[in-house]
Amino acid sequence: MWLVETLGFGQTGWGGLLLMGALMTLCVTLAALLLGAVLGAIVAAAKLSQSRAIRTAGGVYTTIFRGVPELLIIYLVYFGGSSAVTAIGAYFGFEGFLGMPSFIAGALAVGLICGAYQAEVYRGAFLAIPKGELEAAEAIGMHRFLRFRRIIMPQVLRFAIPGIGNVWQLSLKDSALVSVTGLADLMRTSQVAAGSTRQYFLFFIAGGCLYLVLTSMSDRLFARAERRASRSMPAGIGQI
Amino acid sequence: MAAATRLSVRNIHKSFGAHEVLRGISLDAHDGDVISLLGASGSGKSTFLRCINLLEIADQGEIVVDGERIEMTMKNGHAVPASRKQVDRIRAELGMVFQSFNLWSHMTILDNVIEGPVHVLKRPRAECIAEAEALLEKVGIAEKRHAYPAHLSGGQQQRAAIARALAMKPKVMLFDEPTSALDPELVGEVLRVMRSLAEEGMTMLVVTHEMGFARNVSNRVIFMRSGEIDSDGPPEELFGKGGSPAFRQFIGTFGK
Amino acid sequence: MDFPFLFQTMKTLLAALPVTLGLFSLSVLFGGFLAILIVWMRVGGNPILSRFARGYIFVFRGSPLLIQMFLVFYGLGQFGFIRHSFVWPALREPFVCAVLSLALCTAGYTAEIFRFGLRAVPPREIEAARAIGMSGFLLVRRIIAPIAFRHALPAYSTEIVMMVKSTALASLVTVWEVTGVAQRLISQTYRTMEVFLCAAIIYLVLNFLILQAMALLEHYLSPHRRAAAPLVPGGLPVSR
Repeated sequence: MWLVETLGFGQTGWGGLLLMGALMTLCVTLAALLLGAVLGAIVAAAKLSQSRAIRTAGGVYTTIFRGVPELLIIYLVYFGGSSAVTAIGAYFGFEGFLGMPSFIAGALAVGLICGAYQAEVYRGAFLAIPKGELEAAEAIGMHRFLRFRRIIMPQVLRFAIPGIGNVWQLSLKDSALVSVTGLADLMRTSQVAAGSTRQYFLFFIAGGCLYLVLTSMSDRLFARAERRASRSMPAGIGQI
Repeated sequence: MAAATRLSVRNIHKSFGAHEVLRGISLDAHDGDVISLLGASGSGKSTFLRCINLLEIADQGEIVVDGERIEMTMKNGHAVPASRKQVDRIRAELGMVFQSFNLWSHMTILDNVIEGPVHVLKRPRAECIAEAEALLEKVGIAEKRHAYPAHLSGGQQQRAAIARALAMKPKVMLFDEPTSALDPELVGEVLRVMRSLAEEGMTMLVVTHEMGFARNVSNRVIFMRSGEIDSDGPPEELFGKGGSPAFRQFIGTFGK
Repeated sequence: MDFPFLFQTMKTLLAALPVTLGLFSLSVLFGGFLAILIVWMRVGGNPILSRFARGYIFVFRGSPLLIQMFLVFYGLGQFGFIRHSFVWPALREPFVCAVLSLALCTAGYTAEIFRFGLRAVPPREIEAARAIGMSGFLLVRRIIAPIAFRHALPAYSTEIVMMVKSTALASLVTVWEVTGVAQRLISQTYRTMEVFLCAAIIYLVLNFLILQAMALLEHYLSPHRRAAAPLVPGGLPVSR
């Protein structure tokens, strides 16, 4: 009875807040994934560039954002962003410290990280396109943009689906670290609930279970997308 | 009577690093010519074909397709085409068939065939589909039009690739060893399609190792050796008494 | 650039490096052993153990490390029987909690990596070993484990670098490792960029050294590939 009440949706229950937290986790991860897709495409293009300088720049980006602890990057974005916001605030006559909105800081930080992972995914997917197919497109008289739109894009997306699935799972878990900026995501809500009821074990288990629901549901979604996308592959090859 | 010159190539040179692959190749193909390019591997025949539709850029030389000269300029010491637009247009007029088929694996056979007409030539889709189905019928794989390339045999894929090239209504067809990647029992079906194209009067340039095709289907055989044209003439002449000693030795290795 | 400040920051951060290294090496060590145990359960043939291993892997890979760490740090102390048991003096230590949760988590990931390594062992080679009378532990030790480990090595290197980054989370349970100290410096000085730079360099150098060591290990473990690897034919692409 007590359990139902604590985890339930009534006045003293935390169920509703936990679900809201899960929603927030999904939102911040989704925003990060979209930002990361744009960054990842740019960085992948840089890493495939003919210019050595641009390639190096792309390499530096992925090395930093895949090699430095996520927490440190969140601090960089949150505190660095807050200093910038404070400076802008001071310019417009606001006094004192202004915090960066934690949703934006979180999405930005996780987006920067998942952009680095997505860059690798897109690069690998591009390299997986048989060179002959690009040549055939050239030979038929397709210009650059048409080649990109009709031959490269669809195949990169197809080859990238499993990789994007992994990046999504990674980002979903990384987003838990955004709770240090005070964003009321699933992690933060579990923490607050645990602290105010002193039921640490219960609420961290509940929060963990909700994360498991999120990760396993999205896993299933990506598996289905992958099956759809590999229709053109002979059985066996598409499942790798 | 002189048939119209479909393709004229003058003095093509091409090097990879210090290695000179082509040393001044010239060739004219008239309407309805079927020219077989023979030569040992490394003789430069595939590179020559790839230079014609600019998949490789020749260091030197002139290419004229159906009276239109491909304009070149120099950039950082390399010859580059002056206009990408012209290159794309010329390529659309030259049908290319690759050794490894190179069908787009994410599209069905029918989509592969209509891709060029619809998106490069910007013709109405319904019209292209009707033509594509006729072409697939002609190469004998109409029933596979909704299959994906990976589900077809090599011979079927190559016939689909021929249909894809034909759908552009090319003025010249270039074949780069079209049967070399095929199992022996699948070679025949592709050669039959090529033969019927030749009989319809298509201008064709074929890099091949199929001596039977060179001898019986083409009206002209060119034998290349270390980047140069060694022998050039009608097959009955070359396969008769006219070939150079090197050519004799080359066809000797094929057991004929 | 304020070099004295950078120098001072570097010195402060490096003082915390032993803690990071301790967390890292202990959790990789214990996590590795645990992973072997779990793989053994997973592929051993006993359906109950296999199911347990599957569940373990699902839970620890599917939920964020932070929530696992909080569960260990805050959750365990809630139970009287643990607080009164002989392990409590150890479990009271934040450092021990951090190592425990890091090891538990990496064991889940590592188990999967090892399992894929096992799948790469050619059945023919196992058969050949059986044919000369090998079985049981000898077969595993002499034939299966070396082949599987070598196949798993690239993925395992990635996992180990992830572990370096994961040690940063220990700062959230009051273990003062590099990221925790960096965060404290940032909130004291508001010089986010400089502190981030120093901390990032420490982590990147650490990753670099670890990856070099792993590459060396891979080289050492694959003499047969070195011998068999044909020299890549130098020279030219398409020159037919």
